[in-house]
Amino acid sequence: MDANTLIFGSMAVLSLAIFFYLGQFKASKKQTERDDRIDWSVRKFSIWKILLYSLVLVGGIVLVLQFL
Amino acid sequence: MFGRSGNPALNADTFGNSAKSSPAGIQFKSSETMTLEGTVNKTGILLALVVLSASWTWNMFFESGNPATVMPIAIGGAIAGFIFALVTIFKKQWAGTTAPLYAIAEGLFLGAISGIFEMQYPGIVIQAVGLTLGTLASLLFLYKTGIVKPTENFRLMITSATMGIGMLYLVSMLMNMFGSGGIGFIHSNGLFGIGFSLFVVAIAALNLVLDFDFIEQGSEMGAPKYMEWFGAFSLMVTLIWLYLEMLRLLAKLRSR
Repeated sequence: MDANTLIFGSMAVLSLAIFFYLGQFKASKKQTERDDRIDWSVRKFSIWKILLYSLVLVGGIVLVLQFL
Repeated sequence: MFGRSGNPALNADTFGNSAKSSPAGIQFKSSETMTLEGTVNKTGILLALVVLSASWTWNMFFESGNPATVMPIAIGGAIAGFIFALVTIFKKQWAGTTAPLYAIAEGLFLGAISGIFEMQYPGIVIQAVGLTLGTLASLLFLYKTGIVKPTENFRLMITSATMGIGMLYLVSMLMNMFGSGGIGFIHSNGLFGIGFSLFVVAIAALNLVLDFDFIEQGSEMGAPKYMEWFGAFSLMVTLIWLYLEMLRLLAKLRSR
């Protein structure tokens, strides 16, 4: 087994162990007891706003590429 | 395929029909509601299914050494995966059946694509797997401890960026189909190409935070049991996207 496989393989195994262990616990109060949490039962922003922001991003990337 | 949104599954209706009580007002028992443990276990099942089906196309590719032998299965897997993803998003109650089918179909695609990358750049697949799972564990830690706090504005930014990336990939794909070569920098290994890939990897990774928050809130609200499959499915969609972007980024770096 080469060093690449050993390092990244160990990283994968360790990460999976962390995910399966940590994933079972509730998030800290710092995370769950705050006023600005996302409310997944409602959509605060319209799809049009999301679309507009997306277009701004795409336009920005295209503009940057044009001038650089 | 690469342009698909990280988590199109998460929208306003996600918990709309999945509060603690049914439309008839019947309360769900705790054994019938979504839990963190159940979602994590189901994510494990989906991951195992992806690896199993991926190993099949992976072995098939390395036995023949010819991409043409696995490409029909890879394309079929990608299309089937896309269809199962759409069904899961629109029929969340079916997630227990469609999410595993999605994982198997995507595994067929991933195995073939990974094999092709591995042949070109030996050792790249284990690097991409390690980095993807490393990102998953790191972000889960940051989320659980409250270091990263997703807000509505965060959700707007990440969703918009994901949609923007999707648009760019779609335009590039259409340009390719009509023979104009696509948007160059997306595939280039130059500074912009690598910068763009880094940006996409960051957005895909931040989608994981949204997935964690969605799962956490679903279990808090006592969403129905099938939402465990749906939560695991959302996580898988993001993980598969992140893995593919990691592969592309590493390939760009290695080809310089």
